[in-house]
Amino acid sequence: MVDFGTAEVTLEMVQASQLGMKAFSAALAVGLTGLASAIAEMTIGSAAVGATAENRDVFGLVLLLTVIPETIVIFGLVVALLLMF
Amino acid sequence: MLWPERMRRLLIAAPKSEIKTIIKELYRHKVYHIEDFVPESESGGLSIGHPLPEASSAAETLIKVRAIENACGIDPARFEARMKIPASRVREMIRTDLSAIQKEVEDLVNSRSKLETLKKEHEQRARELEPFTAIPLDLEFYRGYRGFTVFAGHISHDVKIDVPHEKYFSDKVTGNMIVVVVQNEHQEEVERILLNAGFQALAIPEENGAPTDRLQAHLDEIRRIDDEIAAINQKLAEIREKHAELLVACDELLTADVERAEAPLRFATTEETFISEGWVPDDRADEIREALERVTNGRIYIEELEIEDDSRVPVEYDNPSFATPTQLLVDLYARPRYSELDPTLLVTIVFPIFFGLILGDVGYGAILLAMSLGLRKFLKGEGMRSLLKVLSYASVSSIVFGVLYSEFLGYSLPWEALIFSRHLNIGGHATAHGPQVVELLLLAIWIGILHVTLGRVLGMANARRLYHGKHATKAVIANAGWIGVMWGILLMIWSLFPIPLMPNLTGLPVLFMGLNTSAVVGAILILMGVIGIAQENVLEIVELPTIISHVLSYARLVAVGLSSVAIAMMVNYLAIGMIIEPQLEAITPIGVIAIIFGVLLFVLGHLLNTALGILGGGLHSLRLHYVEFFTKFYKGGGIKYKPFGKRSKFTEE
Repeated sequence: MVDFGTAEVTLEMVQASQLGMKAFSAALAVGLTGLASAIAEMTIGSAAVGATAENRDVFGLVLLLTVIPETIVIFGLVVALLLMF
Repeated sequence: MLWPERMRRLLIAAPKSEIKTIIKELYRHKVYHIEDFVPESESGGLSIGHPLPEASSAAETLIKVRAIENACGIDPARFEARMKIPASRVREMIRTDLSAIQKEVEDLVNSRSKLETLKKEHEQRARELEPFTAIPLDLEFYRGYRGFTVFAGHISHDVKIDVPHEKYFSDKVTGNMIVVVVQNEHQEEVERILLNAGFQALAIPEENGAPTDRLQAHLDEIRRIDDEIAAINQKLAEIREKHAELLVACDELLTADVERAEAPLRFATTEETFISEGWVPDDRADEIREALERVTNGRIYIEELEIEDDSRVPVEYDNPSFATPTQLLVDLYARPRYSELDPTLLVTIVFPIFFGLILGDVGYGAILLAMSLGLRKFLKGEGMRSLLKVLSYASVSSIVFGVLYSEFLGYSLPWEALIFSRHLNIGGHATAHGPQVVELLLLAIWIGILHVTLGRVLGMANARRLYHGKHATKAVIANAGWIGVMWGILLMIWSLFPIPLMPNLTGLPVLFMGLNTSAVVGAILILMGVIGIAQENVLEIVELPTIISHVLSYARLVAVGLSSVAIAMMVNYLAIGMIIEPQLEAITPIGVIAIIFGVLLFVLGHLLNTALGILGGGLHSLRLHYVEFFTKFYKGGGIKYKPFGKRSKFTEE
């Protein structure tokens, strides 16, 4: 026999679980891209500090180079926002 | 306005007898950018000129002045003069007073360094004496024995010695102190016992009397020397107070003298004449020409030369005054070339708009505006001033967008957002519809499409100025090709999917293979665009995906902004919603502490978000300009226009 009461609860559970999966995917999108940006910025950042120590004039330029990999996490954030809303 | 200042290339030739007059006149006008003469093998008897005779004496005096400034701690770059001093008085002062001041300062500095050496000596003695103060023995008892050996030094713990001896031990000083006196025949045995306990011998100070008294004497001496040094510093400060204005004036005048005297090093000379090439802004050229002819009574030959190579022309910006601070941002990337479009004006307008789109918040905008106006009093550098000006434009834009977004430190203002709302559902303050993220993202994409298209159109204009003949045509077509591909892709997307805020072209009649009119037009545009790009450089085809990535990159205008809103709302929710509000319902002593903590959290959180806002809003807007916009048309790499002559701050002729 089919128990309809149980079926109703299962539907809610499925919806809740879908919502959870969405939130989880959004978290993955931001988290993993954040890690990727961090790894990229690590190398650039240390080189940038070295270059600035040699010549202070390049500070503006290297600051800019350092933020270039931030694009990766921003794409991640955009994907997360699209998932959530 | 959109182009750098027009320049004229002048050639000046005159007899060597006039060289001084001409240099002086050029220096006074401050418009002539000297092109350094580089001797080549076939320069036909031309050689580099020699500095004027007064160069070495001026340089020597300048070194003296700089030494005095250094000793007194005067920095001409930071010095604010109350009034300008006439140059004649400064020269008079250099002749009469300078050597006296120099001698005084030199003597003071010398005696100070002597005192410092003496002080170090006393400090060393005091350090040596310190362990001995723990032992109640006068210093003369430590030495001068024939039959006894004295051990004095640090040790880890007290030891028991079996042979006849006299011993003092103290654990009052760091590392403990032990003194043992034994007969010479037991020396080795005692030494072994001591070394087993980690004994470290100390040199016995060459002094007499009780160690405590001696230590005190040294400390007194150090204090006396400190007072003397302070007195000398006081005297130096008095000299600074009294002569600083004259000294910086001397510095400036002598620097100018040296610069003038060494100018011939940049000229070409023959036996009797000298020749110089240089650049003058178009509107000042006639003026300087007349002035030179007047001061030399016509004993000068000036010719205007053709501009052959635009990479040799020095570049000076020609922007309205409100746009001049932004030149700093363009210089940070590269100075434009002479025949190139100067993007400063566009950056001045678009940069604040991007900043406002990202950090659109009345509260943060007001904080930044107050900060940029307040810091102007403290930060004096030219670059800093420009930066603060740019920041103040950006913060005004931030306030305007804050009104449009209806945001104040993450709270909403008493009206609904006039454009798309960015209010997130944090802390139960949800608005009716939540953030309109999709609409905002599409708005950002539209901005990207238009900005990139503008960049390419400027690229076409630039290509026609930068290149000649066939190359120019090719470059123009390639730029048009990039625009074609981008809009072709857009048309194809629009024909397939209905997207809010963008034209819906899905309903157009289908022509063939399921493609409708817009899709076909799009495909043709892409095809022609690719051909257009490839005819200039086939390798550029590899860059095609950047069309999509560059346009999508503008999504950061929304993404970075939304993260800033999220932080602001989180801070509000934590500080006010979770800590302060519940405590206000029933005030208890612990509740008061919680409220103070909440206020602190609120202030710190918003401070952090303001700092992040400057970084996020500023750097990302700047990056969109440098990476997405400038790469479409801007080459840069022009020489800075540096006119011969310096604006005088402290002296007047």
